[in-house]
Amino acid sequence: MARRRRGSAPRLAPYLFVLPNMLVFGLFTIWPAINGFNISLYDSSNGRTFEYVGTENYERILSDPAYWETARNTVVYTIAFVVLVTAASLALAILLNAQQRGKGALRAAYFVPVVISPVVVGLIWSWVLTRQNGVVNELLRGVGLPAPGWLLDPALAMIVIILVGVWVNLGFFTMILLAGLQSIDPNLYEAAKLDGATVWKQVRQITLPLLRPTTMVVVILAAINGFQAFDYIWTLTGGGPVGATTLMVQYIYENAFQSPIQYGLASAAGVIFFVVVFGVTMLNYLVGRRREAM
Amino acid sequence: MSTQTAARPSGWHSTTGRRAPATGSVVRGTILAAGALAILAPVVWAALSSFKTQRELAQRPPSPLPESFAPDNYTQALGEFSFGQYFMNSVVVTVAATALTLLINSMAAYALSKYNFRGRDTLFLITLSTIMIPIQVILLPVYQVVANLGMVNSYWGLIIPPAATPTGVFLLRQYMLSIPDELIEAARIDGAGEFRIFRKIIIPLSLPALAVLAIFSVIWRWNDFLWPLIVAQRESLYTLPVALAQFNSQLVVPFNLVLAMSVLSILPVIIIFLLLQRQIVTGVAQTGLK
Repeated sequence: MARRRRGSAPRLAPYLFVLPNMLVFGLFTIWPAINGFNISLYDSSNGRTFEYVGTENYERILSDPAYWETARNTVVYTIAFVVLVTAASLALAILLNAQQRGKGALRAAYFVPVVISPVVVGLIWSWVLTRQNGVVNELLRGVGLPAPGWLLDPALAMIVIILVGVWVNLGFFTMILLAGLQSIDPNLYEAAKLDGATVWKQVRQITLPLLRPTTMVVVILAAINGFQAFDYIWTLTGGGPVGATTLMVQYIYENAFQSPIQYGLASAAGVIFFVVVFGVTMLNYLVGRRREAM
Repeated sequence: MSTQTAARPSGWHSTTGRRAPATGSVVRGTILAAGALAILAPVVWAALSSFKTQRELAQRPPSPLPESFAPDNYTQALGEFSFGQYFMNSVVVTVAATALTLLINSMAAYALSKYNFRGRDTLFLITLSTIMIPIQVILLPVYQVVANLGMVNSYWGLIIPPAATPTGVFLLRQYMLSIPDELIEAARIDGAGEFRIFRKIIIPLSLPALAVLAIFSVIWRWNDFLWPLIVAQRESLYTLPVALAQFNSQLVVPFNLVLAMSVLSILPVIIIFLLLQRQIVTGVAQTGLK
């Protein structure tokens, strides 16, 4: 701090530097986040004239069966997605880390779905999973297996959106875990090998424990990711059949922007959702703090 | 930073080197290759099928290859169905939003990393805490702001609101922290103005991080769906993802054309990814996650 005095920095400069970003940020993120609470106390059927209704929106939403079904879908989806994507990316990262031949090309191949437009992901999967002449069912029939209606059966459709979610995100989380794996001291494995530890034992007793902080980050990022799933489901199932794959973001979008417009429901759902996501973010922060302390 | 990408043997293979146990590595290689093929299969299938006619798409069982690779679907969709317009909209929004993001994020990151000023930590904490609150969670109030500013159905509404990415500020700040203070102080003693220091010293030294942010921003904005869906209500402003989703559900555009446009819309990001893979992978690793 003492050094600062010689080439002393103007006091105004830092504020001018942060101003443009904070202006956009404040206008389109902070203010709406705060205002969201306010709007949720009003109702409107056209989005222009508002009337104050107090906590009525919240009462209505908590007695709306569609809301509870959506909440349940979102929780089921998120939990299954987090468990599967974490396990799969752990396994893939460990395999890839040990691989030497063609490692770069393999890594690239697994990452491709991450960069593809989610809308297109949904389009492609809904097309290959079409009941009648989708290529998946054609292949199944070819080997004499039954050809189910992947997107027509509620339970199957839920499984499909979970698996497609894993397909999309696998490469991303694998990359994060690979970075974590590369920071593990190779000497540990050499020492273990001298002690005659098997590969499986090395994974269980060195890799997984040392990778735990990174794995925690993956779990939390995946949870947030899961809560917000929307785009690819929109073109994959459209939330159907009969709402079986409608998740929270879609519920909010439909009530706010599609007729019949239920502005109050949408804003109350937004606030509740905001609180949940914020809770997860705080969890993220706390876990991050614990990591630093370790 | 470059050590992450250096080809250095790691894990339990480092000692065995070339004389690795043959069966284990063959099994592993086979699993990894088969998995990669399975992951890529739907994309490859879509790419091949995007050259098929409607009749070929309906054919059972489907033939793996199209009868011809003539780009009829592409030319027809871009011409008759104004997908050329949607493509241009996507390009304009992506380029402009990315440029804006790079400018305002880097300025903010510089202030947050290299100045001591009142409120700095508060600003940084607010930025950080909203990193996980994207636009869809606060959809309605954001839309109201945009509507009040008259930015619905305009490029501005598509470009400005997503530009102040907290992730970008965070990534750039972490990077700029590693720039030595002495450089800045020396420039100041030489009489350089604050903005000149930013332009001539900070920006050139932060190029690797800016490149990573640019790549990510391009991918984010190119693939964005929910926000443009709400703001671009007029057809002439549709971006590619919005057009694809709308026309796919309305069945007004033949599916062979939708498929061709889907492939066209993933082509740019796949090319960017294949060219800049290294930066993207280190970017994922660098974002404070190592």
